Amino acid sequence: MNLPLYPNEYFGRPFGMVVGTLTGVAFGFVLERAGFGRAPNLAAQFYGTDMRVFKVMFTGIATAAAGLGLLGGFGLVDLAQLTIPETFLWPQLIGGLLLGVGFIVAGYCPGTACVAAASGHVDGLITYVGVGLGTLVFGAFYPQLQAFYTGSNLGVVRLDLLLGVPFGVVAAGVVVMAVACFFGAEALERIFTRRNAEAQPIVARPFRNRAMAVMLALAVIAVVPAFATRSASASASASATAVKRATAIDATTLARQLAQDPSRLQVVDMRAQEACHQHRVPTATCRKDEKDDWPARLLPTRALVLYGDADLRQVPAELARFPGDVLILRGGFPAFQHAILDPPVAPTETTLANLTAYRAQSALHTHFTGQQAAPIVQRAPSTSPGPAAPAAKKGGGC
Amino acid sequence: MPHQLEKPLWNPYFAGILLGLVLIASYLVMGTGVGSSGAANRLAIGAAHWIAPTAVEQNGYFGPFVARGAPVLDDWLVWEVLGVFLGGALSAYAAGRMKLDILRGPRATTGKRIAFALTGGIIMGVAARLARGCTSGQALSGGAVLSAGSWIFMLAVFAGGYLVAPFVRRQWK
Repeated sequence: MNLPLYPNEYFGRPFGMVVGTLTGVAFGFVLERAGFGRAPNLAAQFYGTDMRVFKVMFTGIATAAAGLGLLGGFGLVDLAQLTIPETFLWPQLIGGLLLGVGFIVAGYCPGTACVAAASGHVDGLITYVGVGLGTLVFGAFYPQLQAFYTGSNLGVVRLDLLLGVPFGVVAAGVVVMAVACFFGAEALERIFTRRNAEAQPIVARPFRNRAMAVMLALAVIAVVPAFATRSASASASASATAVKRATAIDATTLARQLAQDPSRLQVVDMRAQEACHQHRVPTATCRKDEKDDWPARLLPTRALVLYGDADLRQVPAELARFPGDVLILRGGFPAFQHAILDPPVAPTETTLANLTAYRAQSALHTHFTGQQAAPIVQRAPSTSPGPAAPAAKKGGGC
Repeated sequence: MPHQLEKPLWNPYFAGILLGLVLIASYLVMGTGVGSSGAANRLAIGAAHWIAPTAVEQNGYFGPFVARGAPVLDDWLVWEVLGVFLGGALSAYAAGRMKLDILRGPRATTGKRIAFALTGGIIMGVAARLARGCTSGQALSGGAVLSAGSWIFMLAVFAGGYLVAPFVRRQWK
């Protein structure tokens, strides 16, 4: 069994949506039981009297990181197939600060607002409506924000790959840091609750100690496979960080392969949106129509063909983890336009080689455009293209 | 007092470990973490598209969500957040915490509380689009898979909260 299941096509989209709903049910249930459905519990985090938010969140992150490190270390799950948010340094830093401000003003973050609304707290519902309105504000100012929003993109930056150590080792570090911070957080709670003459949040000490022990144990076993399979993961991480190498493909070869078996390729147009919408290589999708996580939606079983206005000099960094072959169209779109989409020019000298090339070219031209090439005047051979395919539709693609 | 009938909250560390297990399950099955603001985003775009289709289709940010008849609402995240709502309601009901009210500090008026909730929500809506996720999608899910940007985001969230907390303290006092 290859984990994760959905990206490996163990089940289809409808069942995926059912699983998504069930995941949400579990997530919402845990959040409510953690006390996150009530704004005063959440706001207390920022006044030092109850660090519940920090404890639950950090325990969750540490447990999940250690668990994934453990499973990934033993090869039970392919970490490279997990969706990992790309790093956009400045938007994430500023967005984080703003979100923190909104959090303390509203008393909820978006997820907990949803849980509060579900528990009947109208303030939670209003906060969630506000989040939706905020989206519309963002969209309205998108022309002004776009440069900042899309700037400082560092691609997928995983801390373990950045540090050059196995995932499990960083995960174990997160657990150790979390446990240390929890003792600090509880010390702060004692100080602030005394100062505010409030009752200290009740945390059962024995339980806390057991929870810490479980997490530390998880951290230790997460490290083990990292060392047991060190060479394997080292080579894997090396290949993941290296810039993807690409081979060149010329326009005629690409056209021929697309005509023969389009299911073996996926073509992405890297040019500006307008240019791409106007004309593009048949079956190509426009990079600018996609969101920033577009590499995650590529099909790993197909070779990826990229092209721009001219020769692309290198493969975009975000494709470093794309497992398949990457091909770059030589000469970019103009080359394809010239060789395939423009009507071929009939040869003036009707040598056998010229005629064969012209026939092949006309066949491809007809296949992709539906237009017959001009017959050759002297010999007038009716070029024998295959059945004329309809012109590639705008927005076509597999 | 209904409070005496309520079940106690879970120990935060216990809740955290279960949260981690839910997250692991989500990654193993779906290959992705959980989210929350993304659904608000899609719901808002869906509603706006219904009211003003042309404006939304021509918007640089919204356009791709509705282009070519893309299903703006039939998305994994929307289903997942529907689940969050159901799970939250189930838990609150079973624990005797389901109650129609507006949570506010002893001295805050209802109007003021509503204004704060709405303002904070709008700020978070902008922030979550800018950062491409919120506490769920970025901090929790991205943090668990060791994304550098998610960790930067998470530290920034706490920094922003602590910076502004003293100024809105009276809301809860």
